[in-house]
Amino acid sequence: MKTPFLFDEFFASGLEESISPFLTPKSRKWGKNLSLKSAIGAASCLLIAFTLSFINASLSAIFLSLVYFLVGAPALLATLNDIKNLEINIDVLMTLAAFLAVMIGSGLEGALLLVLFELSHGMEETVSRKARSAIHNLNNLSPKFAHVVADDGTLYEKSVREIAIGTHLIVKNGEIVPLDGQVLEGTSSVNLVHLTGESAPVVKKPGDPIPAGARNLESALIIEVNRTNADSTLSRIIQLIIQAQEAKPKLQRWLDRFGKKYATTIIGLTCLFAITLPFLFSIPYLGHEGGIYRALAFLIAASPCALIIATPTAYLSAISACAHKGILLKGGIVLDALASCRSIAFDKTGTLTTGELLCTAIDPLSSTTISIDDALAIAASLERQVVHPIATAIGKFAAQKGCPLIEIQQFKAIPGSGIEGIAQLPTGPIPVFIGSPDYLHLKNSQSIQGQVLAALSVGADRFLFRFSDQIRSTTPALIRQMKETHGIHSVMLTGDNPFNAQNIGALAGIEEIYAGLKPEDKLDHVARLSEKGGLAMVGDGINDAPALARATVGISMGRIGSATAVDASDVVLLNDDLHLLSWLFTKSRKTKQIVKQNLTLALSVICLATIPSLLGWIPLWAAVILHEGGTVLVGLNSLRLLRR
Amino acid sequence: MEKSLPGHFEGKEALDHVIEARQKGKEASEEMHGTELPGHYCAAADAAKETAFLLVALWILFHEFNIPLSLDHLFLIAFTSGWLIWKVGRSAILGWNRLERLHRLIEEERWEIEHHRSQEKEELKALYAAKGFEGKLLDEVTDVLMADDNRLLQVMLQEELGLQLESYEHPLKQAAGAAVGVIAAVGLIAIGLYFLPVWGPLACASIVIALAAGTSAHLEKNRPAPAVIWNLAVAALASGVAYFTAQLLLR
Repeated sequence: MKTPFLFDEFFASGLEESISPFLTPKSRKWGKNLSLKSAIGAASCLLIAFTLSFINASLSAIFLSLVYFLVGAPALLATLNDIKNLEINIDVLMTLAAFLAVMIGSGLEGALLLVLFELSHGMEETVSRKARSAIHNLNNLSPKFAHVVADDGTLYEKSVREIAIGTHLIVKNGEIVPLDGQVLEGTSSVNLVHLTGESAPVVKKPGDPIPAGARNLESALIIEVNRTNADSTLSRIIQLIIQAQEAKPKLQRWLDRFGKKYATTIIGLTCLFAITLPFLFSIPYLGHEGGIYRALAFLIAASPCALIIATPTAYLSAISACAHKGILLKGGIVLDALASCRSIAFDKTGTLTTGELLCTAIDPLSSTTISIDDALAIAASLERQVVHPIATAIGKFAAQKGCPLIEIQQFKAIPGSGIEGIAQLPTGPIPVFIGSPDYLHLKNSQSIQGQVLAALSVGADRFLFRFSDQIRSTTPALIRQMKETHGIHSVMLTGDNPFNAQNIGALAGIEEIYAGLKPEDKLDHVARLSEKGGLAMVGDGINDAPALARATVGISMGRIGSATAVDASDVVLLNDDLHLLSWLFTKSRKTKQIVKQNLTLALSVICLATIPSLLGWIPLWAAVILHEGGTVLVGLNSLRLLRR
Repeated sequence: MEKSLPGHFEGKEALDHVIEARQKGKEASEEMHGTELPGHYCAAADAAKETAFLLVALWILFHEFNIPLSLDHLFLIAFTSGWLIWKVGRSAILGWNRLERLHRLIEEERWEIEHHRSQEKEELKALYAAKGFEGKLLDEVTDVLMADDNRLLQVMLQEELGLQLESYEHPLKQAAGAAVGVIAAVGLIAIGLYFLPVWGPLACASIVIALAAGTSAHLEKNRPAPAVIWNLAVAALASGVAYFTAQLLLR
């Protein structure tokens, strides 16, 4: 059988036809960004229709028909849907104005409204499409089936959803633990980076609990399931993300509310004017000077062309400027949210720090004839056999010091504990071991709070290797700048222990530190801080994803960040340049300012165009020119945000 | 085995349910309410045949009622531009209708997998039992297929509903095929009209119909010769009936 088709992405996209499983892979590209493509096609047709209107009216009408087909039909469909749901909003007003414009011979103006409207919709849809697959990546991480150990010892595959509590599973080397359970047999190191954000492996031995989502790094483990798929750690994280996304304050709501009130008022006034104007001004109902004509002119002049482009053009200009700097924004409204943030929270590992372990010290635990450099050379020679964050750190440290490697014979891995072998030293062969201090029963190592440690034994001699996370060189300057330039309060939220958190926090200059947090604890802190006055959260791990989704603005690291964190966030720093955060805050505040200017300008133009046209002081064409002039001004004002 | 829920099988056996589901899949994958065949080549052939017939019928009527030849050309341009839009739009709409039906089916099947797992397992067993699997092997095959939801959905779409994945063209590509068909037919008939005003359009329309019918038959793996002859015969009969009916009624 062929590789199964992955339907998850298709369902997560809301049955997006550009990834439909029924379409041939080659023909799927026809369905990409259809809304934007049809808006661009309609804009081109409108331009041709406008040019031809001076030369040949019939030819112009053909192109105008195409515009109404390409953007009018979808608008009409959306409007009918809104009316069916008893909702009068800007969409309804725009469609009504555009189609009524044809009735009073202003088809081009109506078409312009539709094109602008569809363009802004198409661009918004294209920009926000990437944000829709947050859960998809996390679901990919979660195994769909597990290897069940039957009573007779045979193995078979079974869907995780059908596995009951008490079932025995085997998790092989390199596999992800499919369900929460307890280790029954075997000892191995597991990486919990997906769940806790911490890259240092954790040893799991019989009796230890093991969460779904952990990656088994060494030997096979047999586990007994103690939670079903619906209650597993990974499922709970997925639930947290969904809840966080739903709870997120929607800044768009204000614009929607305004749009509804505006549309209802304008449509109501149009009806009122159509009925009352003939009585008030002693004019007929029908004809070019009639009440109905004036009311329709009022409706078209009041259609919020400039209002519609006031926010999207500003946001799109800012998004474009950000993209040039390597910052990906999932929608313009993020900038508005960012401008309102008063605090910024950072995850520690991978965000404030590089996420890689650094060997900081090698301490001999007794008097010894073996030098530190020789101990490092032995450790590096042992660790080069394995792939492990501690092994990488020792390898790098040895390379920096220029330590030559030593021949190791009878190499043997002790799952969950370390590796041993016989080192061929100039003085002769000697047994060596590197791994967990507990394995060597080093009691004094337990007092060193929260540090990542490894013990080396060379014959009877013992050495203790200390490791720490490396702070990014740009972090202290960034925190200082955020405080001094933008008045932003800094917070650290980490799953790491308080000792390491305090160390890194002090180096970075963080004002408030919370350590030892689970994903749900991070989410609680983020919810509290967000409600206090807007919070931007910066993180990179899957454990940060719920917090990133819940924060006023979630910011993730594009290179080192997990796909889920990237998906759950609103902003992605493509090159992991944290120092760009200060520039981004400045840009967001500038954008908010320009959006306010645009809205004021647009509303002023609408007032100036509608009242005189209603009173018959200016003809409809003059009202339209005033109207479109305002639209151009709003567009030009937005373009100022393109400056980097 | 868990007892079947009446809501899923509606009193039928698992295999009867599969047969019914296959019919549902077959209907969803076809162009039910139109004449267009799925796929851009088929849409092109279908559009070319229809265009050729319509133009030749109009041409015959024009000649019969002595409408000046210059009007012929102008009418051809006006009619074909509208006809082109109609065929392209219709083809795309039919394609989208089919896609919507298929997407609805896939959603329904996913829902069934999520909510009626035991019944889906019964159906799967019935399907593979019909293929000759039995005993422990049948159980193992069913378990392996049930283990991965993506794989299960694919199997149910293909085996239960009889649908093929990654085999349809995008509606717009299909519509582009229809556009090519209309333009090609109009172009060829216009050449015929220009060079041989008396027999050209008829000859060219016959060529278009024969080529389109032959191509369709080839793509559908049918015999080309009967397809060509029958299509030409239907076109001749239809034009003839239109011509003589007009003579009967209008003279």
